[in-house]
Amino acid sequence: MSDKYKDERHSRRHRPVVENERRFQESRSHGRTEQDETREFSFLRHKHSLNKIFFRSQDFIRRGSPEYDDFWLFVEKYETFQQKAKTKPQASSSCHLGDSSLGIPLQYDKTNRINISVQNKDVEDFLRKGRLADAEIAPELTVDRVKEFRNIFLYYLDFQQKQKFNKLKKVKSDQENLPIYQYKSEIVDMIRDNQVVVIAGDTGCGKSTQVPQYLLQAGFKKIACTQPRRIACVSLSKRVGYETLNEYGTDVAFQVRFEKTKTQNTKILFLTEGLLLRQMTSDSLLSMYDVIVIDEVHERHIHTDFLLGVLQCLIHHRSDVKVILMSATINIHLFSDYFHDAPVLKVPGRLYPIEMEFCPIIKDRDEKHGKLDPSPYLRIMQRIEKKYPKSERGDLLIFLSGLSEIMCIVNAAKMYAQETKSWIILPLHSALSVEEQEKVFDIAPPGVRKCIVSTNIAETSVTIDGVRFIVDSGKVKEMSFDSKYKMQRLEEFWISRASAEQRKGRAGRTGPGVCYRLYHEREYEAFQDYTTPEIKRVPLDSLVLQMISMGLPDPRKFPFIEAPSIESLENSVLYLKDQGALYPDESLTPIGLMLSKLPVDVVIGKMLIMSSIFHMIDPVLSIAAAMSVQSPFTSKINTDVDSMAARKSLESDNGDPFTLLNAFDEWIQVKADGMHTRKWCKRRGLEEQRFYEMTKLKKQFKDLLRDHGLLDKVEDQPQYLSSAERRQKHGERKRLGELKREKRKESKRRKVLKLDDEDYQISDGEDDDNNDEGSNDIKDLEFRLSHDLKQLQETSNQSRHFTLHDVNLLKIILSSGLYPQVSIADDCNTFKSTSEQAFHTKNKPFVLLHPTSVFSYKPELLHPKHDLEQGKHDPTDLKGHLSNKHELLTFVSILETNKPYLINTMRVPALQTVTLFSNYIDTNSTCTRMICDSWLEIVIPDEEEAQTIMSSIIQLRATWQNLLKLRLEDTFLAMESERKISPRARRLERTLASKLSEFLSSDVRYKLRRVLPAEMKNVYLGPDRLSEINTFSLKSTSVKESKPHPIKGGVQFNEYLTHGCLFDDGTASAVGDFTVNMQRHWTCPQCDVSMIVNLSERLEHEVMCQTNNITVTPAQLKAEEEEDKASQMNPLRKSYFCPDCDQQLHLTMTEILKHKKLHTSGPSN
Amino acid sequence: MMTEAVKEFLCYRCNLKIKYDYYGKKPPFAKSIAIGEECYVIKDPFTSDVGIINLGSHCSVCQRSVCASGDCSIFYCKRFCLQCVQENIEEFPIEIRQEIKDKSLRQTNR
Repeated sequence: MSDKYKDERHSRRHRPVVENERRFQESRSHGRTEQDETREFSFLRHKHSLNKIFFRSQDFIRRGSPEYDDFWLFVEKYETFQQKAKTKPQASSSCHLGDSSLGIPLQYDKTNRINISVQNKDVEDFLRKGRLADAEIAPELTVDRVKEFRNIFLYYLDFQQKQKFNKLKKVKSDQENLPIYQYKSEIVDMIRDNQVVVIAGDTGCGKSTQVPQYLLQAGFKKIACTQPRRIACVSLSKRVGYETLNEYGTDVAFQVRFEKTKTQNTKILFLTEGLLLRQMTSDSLLSMYDVIVIDEVHERHIHTDFLLGVLQCLIHHRSDVKVILMSATINIHLFSDYFHDAPVLKVPGRLYPIEMEFCPIIKDRDEKHGKLDPSPYLRIMQRIEKKYPKSERGDLLIFLSGLSEIMCIVNAAKMYAQETKSWIILPLHSALSVEEQEKVFDIAPPGVRKCIVSTNIAETSVTIDGVRFIVDSGKVKEMSFDSKYKMQRLEEFWISRASAEQRKGRAGRTGPGVCYRLYHEREYEAFQDYTTPEIKRVPLDSLVLQMISMGLPDPRKFPFIEAPSIESLENSVLYLKDQGALYPDESLTPIGLMLSKLPVDVVIGKMLIMSSIFHMIDPVLSIAAAMSVQSPFTSKINTDVDSMAARKSLESDNGDPFTLLNAFDEWIQVKADGMHTRKWCKRRGLEEQRFYEMTKLKKQFKDLLRDHGLLDKVEDQPQYLSSAERRQKHGERKRLGELKREKRKESKRRKVLKLDDEDYQISDGEDDDNNDEGSNDIKDLEFRLSHDLKQLQETSNQSRHFTLHDVNLLKIILSSGLYPQVSIADDCNTFKSTSEQAFHTKNKPFVLLHPTSVFSYKPELLHPKHDLEQGKHDPTDLKGHLSNKHELLTFVSILETNKPYLINTMRVPALQTVTLFSNYIDTNSTCTRMICDSWLEIVIPDEEEAQTIMSSIIQLRATWQNLLKLRLEDTFLAMESERKISPRARRLERTLASKLSEFLSSDVRYKLRRVLPAEMKNVYLGPDRLSEINTFSLKSTSVKESKPHPIKGGVQFNEYLTHGCLFDDGTASAVGDFTVNMQRHWTCPQCDVSMIVNLSERLEHEVMCQTNNITVTPAQLKAEEEEDKASQMNPLRKSYFCPDCDQQLHLTMTEILKHKKLHTSGPSN
Repeated sequence: MMTEAVKEFLCYRCNLKIKYDYYGKKPPFAKSIAIGEECYVIKDPFTSDVGIINLGSHCSVCQRSVCASGDCSIFYCKRFCLQCVQENIEEFPIEIRQEIKDKSLRQTNR
């Protein structure tokens, strides 16, 4: 039966193709007939049946894979080809001509060209039986057709094999075409014979990708390659994985701060310099590697220099380790000499010849100073137009020093371009949005050249192909660091000869080029050889901290390749001591140890630790993240009035950190409401990219805290989604995949710029917004898929409902990191204009508010506030206002451009901030006068109040210190076991929280004033004036903590407090002298012991007693344990601060409601 | 240090040198594939799915190892390196003779 079946089909099939063709054409004009269908037979129409036969029991080319799609395309092409070729289908492979002497048939059959076959049960079944047992197959699919289809399938496999083989071969031949390939054996030999080798080669010679492979082939199995940038680690690991045919294996991997692909199999690891240094803290000999390759050493980042120093020591301890330094051809001898004349191998790069011309700017006699003259730049554009025909492509790249210079040239060049219509002007600097930056990669239309006006970002970081002309201003603006004032300074310099060469080289990447230098050859000769390395330009705090934590006891003795100034090192050591990270003997404190483990700078690190202690983590994470990225607020110059108005609702009167928090929270809200954040950002002149960065950083901070036991490990709760939500997620995921594919295609074909496109502004996007809004926003979709928006919304909701108490606590947490970065307003600010509001830091007087700050629009917020009760000046006092609302301004950094500015300012309560964080508090005998950190004077006229405040300070600081100690001990324990916060710590937390809120809401009235350094010489009593009381108290106590201060006089109770060393205020002295000596009855609140003491004795007792509040009586311990049990039983209990009874409570949500009710109903009962 | 012998395939014509995973007709890592000659095979490195790449095999005439590139060998029932094809050109079907002629023409043009 099956035979008959077969035959029938068979006869139908063997209609000559020629006839088919004719009929096909006929059928076009005569309409369709039944036969047409057979003539037009196509496998494509039987995908369903063929899938059943071919793609069920098969482990490769699975349905839905790209290969599968590719295969059907192949079938389509095959069929078209067959129709065109009009040849007879091959008869079965009978050999009419017999075999040749080589044992092959002389009758050609292309199936003989195929050496691959596939075993597939379904196909075999079908070919044998003409049907499948378990599936319906379309009757048109005869056994012969299926045979034919099987052949097509094999042709496809054969074709695919050829493709893949060629790909393989291309990988190999591309490697061989790299300039460095010629040096392969030389490199390997050099490394075998020497411990340290320097490989110098310019961009494009292939050193970064090839040298690790050569090492692998030479038999090394533990290869570490460092990169200065994280992104390079990822991309290089991908590239080298591909080239070593290990794309999907883990032989080649990367490891960066929060991500790694490394496994036990990994032989080549790309990692950041910072990470390798961190690995040294636990494995000081780096025994996990046998070769260490340091790439891009010429960039001389601070970590590069540190690493070089460390490696120089390492090679003495490990003779088996190899070190390879890879650099551009810059300053090679420095590296070679540093490693005892290590051999150098130079590899030439791929660079075309570049014509060079010095065209110094002839300065006009009456040229205004400081204003950049655009005419020399325009003249060169004119010259290019005249000399080079429009048909010859090639763009222009202008190097300028900074933003304002770029704006100036861009504006002039745009005017010029409007006349000639032959230029598209594009600015390029780091403050531009990502999309605007990417415009420089787009193509100019024919006959038009791009003119890219850039900072030195285009020197190494951004590489633009197709640049033929360079104009080099010879200038650069560089950030330098003044360690004395902790001030960053942006200054304009002549560039180095090395970077002049680098700039020039940018013209010769894709063809011969021209470089115009707008300076004299003599000037060029006078340039410094190399750019100043980072280590000489940045704060060294983190570096010093890390050195000490790595067990290098004295950072001053570190064998730097080029040492930073000793002053800069000393200042960092001092700063770390001030921050409580180092003991006076320069060993690590517990905080220091924790900070050294957190790869963030000291200020941020401290904030994070404190946020954990006070359980106010989320808002602090947001602010810390916001402080660590560029501001999302675009600068005033680029923002129009409408955007500025739209921003108003985000601005916080508390200061910039709070404004950033508001903006971030609001952004989350808008996203969670399902609205288009891109548009929302555009309307407000916000750079959305920064918010995505913040989210990432926030997560990283959170992971850090969790890894270091500062945040409870919370199991990610399984998300229960409704089916609708699941569908939506699925849809989003699919859409994301599609978008990414589109994007990939798009990035391959670069966009062509339009001439009229150049007149863009930030706010012009309303129209084109709507097309690519929402569902087409890749970032948005990715964000939605990777974050639980509901949860984010909840946490950000919390920060919107901050009470005054929360705000103050948050300020204290932030200040704990920021202090001593505080400033005090100038007395005359009230009378000065907005732009002249001046502030004084301890070391740097007259610093201004940065124009981006909230306070620069609302300076009145910082003007002294008078008490309500007392509208006017205290007539008895001319030295300042008496108030309970004095404020200071904290800042994240000082930046000096044309003037010094405070960046990221926040107003904080003066008394509380200063007394809690200052390193030294000096008082007079009555405690009515304090000078903190030798520059801020606080005078509290009421003696009683002053002494209460002093007691609070002692208690708070002791509790804080102890709590910190306990919590850090807990966290170090927690790293090994799952130990949570101990009940003792929890008790201290509660004490601290309630005491602190009491202290923050204190309405003591005081005067605040800056003490000038000159005046400081005359404020201390000095040792010879040691008063009677003090000698007396010294006799009476046995504690040896207290001692007379050798310089200031008075008695130093502990590391920060020196009592009785200041002269009394003129007004209070007469009474004061008397009361100080008076002994009174007093009961210590901590140890509950009654005693008769004078003030000095009382304070001394408090200092001692509070320091010991870390230890508990057995009764207390028992109570705690029980409490602990209770709270464990009810995990829903949260800490709740009741403003009515001014207490920190531990309640469940229902208990909180009950408690609140108690207050509302209380009085009436 | 591991003492695993490095199994490397080398084409005598173009010097292509690649570590191979398997030599034979039925690579164990792609069960449904069978190859019509004893050959050098690697797992397909360009996909995470199952797949192979046939690197080449021994010429059935001179027995030297030769890669699968059209510039080095052809497959027609068996593997022949191009040198052996040239030397025995009369023994091949007319279609292959033509193909070889075209190929050498293209190469001289290049």
